[in-house]
Amino acid sequence: MVAILQAVFSGLALGGIYALVALGFNITHSTTKTLNFGQGELLAAGTVIAVSGVMLLAGKGMHGTLDPQDVTLWRYAVSLLISVVVLGLLGVLLYYTAVRPFIGLGGLSWVMSTLGFGIIIQNTALAIWGPSAMVIPSPLGDNVIRIGGAGVLPQEILVVAASVVVMLCLDTVMRKTKIGKAVRAVAHNKNAATLMGINVPAVVVLAFAISSSLAGLAGLLIAPITTASVFMGLSIALKAFSAAIVGGLNNARGCMLGGFLLGLVESMVGLWHAELREISIFMLIILVLVLKPEGLLGTRVAEKV
Amino acid sequence: MADIPTLRIEALQVRYGAVEALKGVSIEVHAGEVVTMIGGNGAGKSTLMKAISGLEGAAAGRVMFEGRDITRMPGHQRVALGIAQCPEGRQIFPDQTVRDNLMLGAYHRAASAAQIAADLEAQFAVFPLLRERLHQSAGTMSGGEQQMLAIARALMSRPKLLLLDEPSLGLAPLMVKDIFGVIRQLKQRGITLLLVEQMANQALAVADRGYVLETGNIIMQGGARELRRDPRIRAAYLGEH
Ligand SMILES: Nc1ncnc2c1ncn2[C@@H]1O[C@H](COP(=O)(O)OP(=O)(O)O)[C@@H](O)[C@H]1O
Ligand SMILES: [Mg+2]
Repeated sequence: MVAILQAVFSGLALGGIYALVALGFNITHSTTKTLNFGQGELLAAGTVIAVSGVMLLAGKGMHGTLDPQDVTLWRYAVSLLISVVVLGLLGVLLYYTAVRPFIGLGGLSWVMSTLGFGIIIQNTALAIWGPSAMVIPSPLGDNVIRIGGAGVLPQEILVVAASVVVMLCLDTVMRKTKIGKAVRAVAHNKNAATLMGINVPAVVVLAFAISSSLAGLAGLLIAPITTASVFMGLSIALKAFSAAIVGGLNNARGCMLGGFLLGLVESMVGLWHAELREISIFMLIILVLVLKPEGLLGTRVAEKV
Repeated sequence: MADIPTLRIEALQVRYGAVEALKGVSIEVHAGEVVTMIGGNGAGKSTLMKAISGLEGAAAGRVMFEGRDITRMPGHQRVALGIAQCPEGRQIFPDQTVRDNLMLGAYHRAASAAQIAADLEAQFAVFPLLRERLHQSAGTMSGGEQQMLAIARALMSRPKLLLLDEPSLGLAPLMVKDIFGVIRQLKQRGITLLLVEQMANQALAVADRGYVLETGNIIMQGGARELRRDPRIRAAYLGEH
C-alpha cells in the first residue's frame, strides 16, 4: 500500500515532465502541423546549460561537482530562467532553419530537418560537456517527506507543482487572454487569422519558442531526480511524444493528461515488474490508438488547409 | 479625394504554380461605392480577394489602397490600414464563442474597451441574433448565422473597405434574402464594399457598378443597371437564354 502510494508520487513527478514536453509537441503541432523531433536534444542541452549555470553561480567552474549546499533555490531559479530563455532562442533558430523552409511544401522534410537540428545541438553539447552524467542535488534538499507512510522527495513535489502551475497558466492564457485567443485562431485557420490582423508568422515563432522553453523547464526539473546528461533527452521526448499521442496531439489538455497517465503507468508497472515498464506503455499506446485513434481527448480533424 | 480611389488594382497577375489565376486584372473601387465582381466558378474571384488582403502574392501588377502601393505589404498590416475581408465559406473560428470571434475582428485595434463595447452594440443593431448567441460556440450556429457573424466580425475592424466573398454561398433562399438586406443596410451606412457573387442578379441590384471576371480576365464592366440589362450577362450569369 505504502509502496503503491510511493509509486503514485514518483509517477506524478515523471508524468509532469512528460506532460510539459508533450504540451510542447501540442503547441507546435496545433500552430504549424509540424513537430520538433529535436525536442529531446534541446531538453538535454537546456539542462546541462542550467546545471553549468548553477556551477558557475556557485563559483565551481564549468566542470566541478555540486554539493547540496551549492544548489540554493535562487541559483536554481536563475539557471532555470537562463535555460528557458536560451532554449526559447534555440526554438526560434530551429523554426527558421529546420521548419519554415519546409512548411506548406507537403512531405515530411521537417521530420528529418528537426531531427538533424537536434543531432547538431546534441553533438555541440557533447563537445562542450562530454558524455558523462552531471549530478545536481535538489535545491530543496534530500530530506524525504512522509505522506501516508510513503516517502516523497521534495524535488518530486516541486516537479508536480511547477508543471501543474505552468500548465494551468498556459491553459488560462490560451482560453482567456487576447493573445491566447489569437494563437487559437492561428491554430485553426491561418488565412482567417491574418484577416483579423494577427501577425501569423510572429505567433508561429512564439509557439516554437514556448515549446522549446517547456523542454528546458522539464529537463532542469527532472535533473535532480535522475541526473543531467547530453543523452537524457531521447527517452523523455519519446515518452512525451507517446503521451501526446495517447492524450490527443491536437488537444492541450489531452497532452497533459497523457503525460500524467504515462508517468503513472510507468511507475506503477515498474513497482511490480521493472522490465515490463516500457512494454506496458507501448501496449497502452497501441490500445488507445485502436480504440480512439485521435487520442483520449483528441478530436478528429476535418480542418481546411 | 474624388480622384484617389479607395482601391485601385493595376494589371494584377496571380499564379498558383503553373496556373495563372489572374492574368492582368485592373479594377477600381471609390469611397462609398458598392462594386460587385461577378463570374462563374474558378474565374479567379476569390484569388482577387486574397490578393487584396495579402493572402496571395502578386506575380505582377500593383495593389493600391488610398493611393498607397501595398502590393508587398503583409496581410495583417493591411487590416490595420482598413481592409477587412469576410472570406468565402465564412471561416469563423468555430471553437471560440461568438463574442470572441467578434473581438478577434477588432484584434489589431488599440481602441478603448468602451469604444469596442459600443462597436459590439452597433453590430447587434444590424445582427440582433448575435446578441442572443454571444456566449455560444460559433461552430454551433447555422450557416446563415455564421455568415452574419463573419460579416459582423469583419465590421469590428472598422474597415474603410469591406470585401465580401460570396456571402450567399450555400445558404437557403430566405437566408440569402436576409444577407442581401444586410448588404443594403451597409450600403446605406456608406460603407465601401467590394462584393463577389455568383448571384449576379441580386448583386447587380444592390451594386453601383460591376465587373465580370472570366478565367482570370475582366471581360466586361460598367454601371450595375447597364450590366443587368446586357444580353450577354443575362445569358451567361442571370440564367436566361
Ligand atoms: N490554392 C490554390 N492552388 C492552386 N490553384 C488554385 C488555388 N486556389 C485557386 N486555384 C485555381 O485558381 C483558379 C481561380 O480560383 P478562385 O479564385 O478560387 O475562383 P473563384 O473564386 O472565382 O471560384 C481556379 O482555376 C482554381 O482552381
Ligand atoms: Mg471563390
